[in-house]
Amino acid sequence: MALLDEANQVRTEEMLLNVGPQHPSTHGVFRLLVKISGETILDADPVIGYLHRGTEKLAEDLQYTQIIPYTDRLDYLAAMLNNYAFCHTVEEALDIQVPERAEYLRVILMEMQRIASHLLFIGTYLLDLGAMSPFLYVFQERERIVQLFNEISGARMTYNFMRIGGVKYDAPPGWLDKVRAFVPFMREKIKMYDSLITGNEIFLDRTRGVGVYDAETALAYGMSGINLRSTGFDWDLRRKKPYSIYDRFDFAVPLGQHGDCFDRYYLHLLEMGESLKIVEQALEQIPDTGPVLGKVPRLIRIPAGEYYSGIEGARGELGFFIVSDGKDKPYRLKIRKPSFVNLQLLPQLLRGQNIANLIAILGAVDIVLGEVDA
Amino acid sequence: MSEEQPQQSAAPAKAARGQEGGGKAAAGAAPAAGRAAANKQPPAPDPRVLAAKEQAERLHQAVADRFGPEAVLESGAAHHKPMLRIARERWLDAVNYLRTHPDWRLNYVECMAGTDYEDRIEVVLFVQSTELGHFVCLKTQTPRDEAWLPSLVSVYPGVNWEEREIYDLLGVDFRGHPDLRRIMLDDDFVGHPLRKDYSVWAETERPLVDGQRP
Amino acid sequence: MELNADSRLPVIEYEGLTPEENMELRRAGVLLQPLEQLKAWARSNSLWPLTFGLACCAIEMMGASASHYDMDRFGIFFRASPRQSDVMIVAGTVTKKMAPLLRRLYEQMADPKWVVAMGVCATAGGPYVRSYSVVKGVDQVVPVDIYIPGCPPSPPALIYGLNLLQEKIRREARMRRERA
Repeated sequence: MALLDEANQVRTEEMLLNVGPQHPSTHGVFRLLVKISGETILDADPVIGYLHRGTEKLAEDLQYTQIIPYTDRLDYLAAMLNNYAFCHTVEEALDIQVPERAEYLRVILMEMQRIASHLLFIGTYLLDLGAMSPFLYVFQERERIVQLFNEISGARMTYNFMRIGGVKYDAPPGWLDKVRAFVPFMREKIKMYDSLITGNEIFLDRTRGVGVYDAETALAYGMSGINLRSTGFDWDLRRKKPYSIYDRFDFAVPLGQHGDCFDRYYLHLLEMGESLKIVEQALEQIPDTGPVLGKVPRLIRIPAGEYYSGIEGARGELGFFIVSDGKDKPYRLKIRKPSFVNLQLLPQLLRGQNIANLIAILGAVDIVLGEVDA
Repeated sequence: MSEEQPQQSAAPAKAARGQEGGGKAAAGAAPAAGRAAANKQPPAPDPRVLAAKEQAERLHQAVADRFGPEAVLESGAAHHKPMLRIARERWLDAVNYLRTHPDWRLNYVECMAGTDYEDRIEVVLFVQSTELGHFVCLKTQTPRDEAWLPSLVSVYPGVNWEEREIYDLLGVDFRGHPDLRRIMLDDDFVGHPLRKDYSVWAETERPLVDGQRP
Repeated sequence: MELNADSRLPVIEYEGLTPEENMELRRAGVLLQPLEQLKAWARSNSLWPLTFGLACCAIEMMGASASHYDMDRFGIFFRASPRQSDVMIVAGTVTKKMAPLLRRLYEQMADPKWVVAMGVCATAGGPYVRSYSVVKGVDQVVPVDIYIPGCPPSPPALIYGLNLLQEKIRREARMRRERA
């Protein structure tokens, strides 16, 4: 008993722990300074900017079409969605009509990209939590998607495929059939992941009730995407402000209930299923032939003014804000970066948590540093 | 690749769009569109712009009633969204007022951006109401020298990092910000790169690693 | 699978020995090699790179180490700590904020150590060469052994680059003997 009393009186000293920027679980070059007392996190200070490449400044010197390759390298896990977000903003500014076939191709590519991105989230998240094999599994499926993208665009990651007013190339012969074959294959795989991961006791223990926040907090912090929907708040831009042709598809917006890390993981899994539904419907509806690039002036000039439009990216609302002075280059380009905004809540989430939960909470935010730092 | 020839001359495409689309070409900056449309009567103004202007007028009214007419510098439309330019002295109060106003309830910040114009720095806030569906663009501005603005962090905690980014890249001092320091660049960095007079080559002389330049 | 000629220990007629003696040595499985070459052979087949993903290239690096391309085949196995690794694959854009840290990580690695610049950003600044915050090539900060072009290089390109590094390690050991 005496010993126990003594043990209870042991006082721990506060310690400053540095995580990153070179750390396998920070998903790039993210740095986190954590003040801990024993195993409890007292405070956390995220340091970003280690991958700040000045895209916004560079864009001021580039013509609109030349900016598209730079959008690839923002959120490099979802380059197609970035391509689209930028082209969409310019198209809205100019009221450009995009040909039907191009719209369908874009939707197919975007949803496949969403699947690829979510797959990588699941793999790396589980890797962060100590499970190695899901990481190896997801790369097999991701590789198939990447191969399909490679076939249509000629690149594995940085596609530079979408153009203002359409897409660069039409799909090569047989490509759509390959996508058609991919859908049931992927559906089986999602079932496999569900049975492999979702019921795992260790995984549940590490994610259930961890990193909880409510919808009000999420809205105040401007969060979007799965980070917002995990709180049960129904906010998907594909539904709320339909862009492209998303109003033609029947799909559900999965919502979380508890706003914890497990919900965020599970929504990724469910969204992959919904994306497959969209791909399937798009493959049915896509016109067999037709142009893939609309009537676009050779030199794109946007009338002077300010334009903003956002889409539902893989990580949340991805938007581009263009200030134009009527020239062929933007006067100012601002990127609304979902992971940048979503990451802000992290210090509050970490305070009072156990140090072991740090990686679980950080991983569930699903950040990509190329986007956070731009 | 089928029959289409996307790289046609700009004028016919623009003119065709001007007819069907109503009035985007009316914005008029594109010279080709102006030439093509000159023969016909000027296109009717875009109904979306009109709606936005009308909404901006109501916003203007709400803010002016509460804070006096000098609080609002301008109201109009930014593309298809209502736009309101608020004096920086009233920026925090007016934004907070619109956030809690039962007719507007602008509770969700979508995007915050700063822009350097030659004579001023402008900060734009795209904000919307998740309940009522409004989507508006609020603006304020500050002179370039000793630029400062009131911080919105007390109203929208989510703009914390955005304001830090604007401070870092544009050099706007946000008064009342809890933690205003550089976010993207390192602390030794000199200057604010998104300002228009910043030279890309200004940085090249700084050593990459302490004390040495390999 | 055919073994790379370099990865097999060469069959050498040792100088100063008669053919019979050479045959005897070979039959008994005895190898007379300068220790440097043996070490280089061993090192080249067990490269442990530091997980140092910076940007887009990091995903292709992960892809190369994951199931489809599987770099473990070459004895290339990622370590999370610079103290345990001997190759640094700089995969992505190096910013000026990152450069001092990259240098420190390099200094923390034990000798012998090698650096691979993966992708055009690490090689020369790439698309970001005009940016105010990007280092125009990682060779301004640390010495680089292998440059792999591409934006990003595909996993096969990375594997090829690492194979070149293996070759370089072995060749350097041979050349050192000739110099001596």
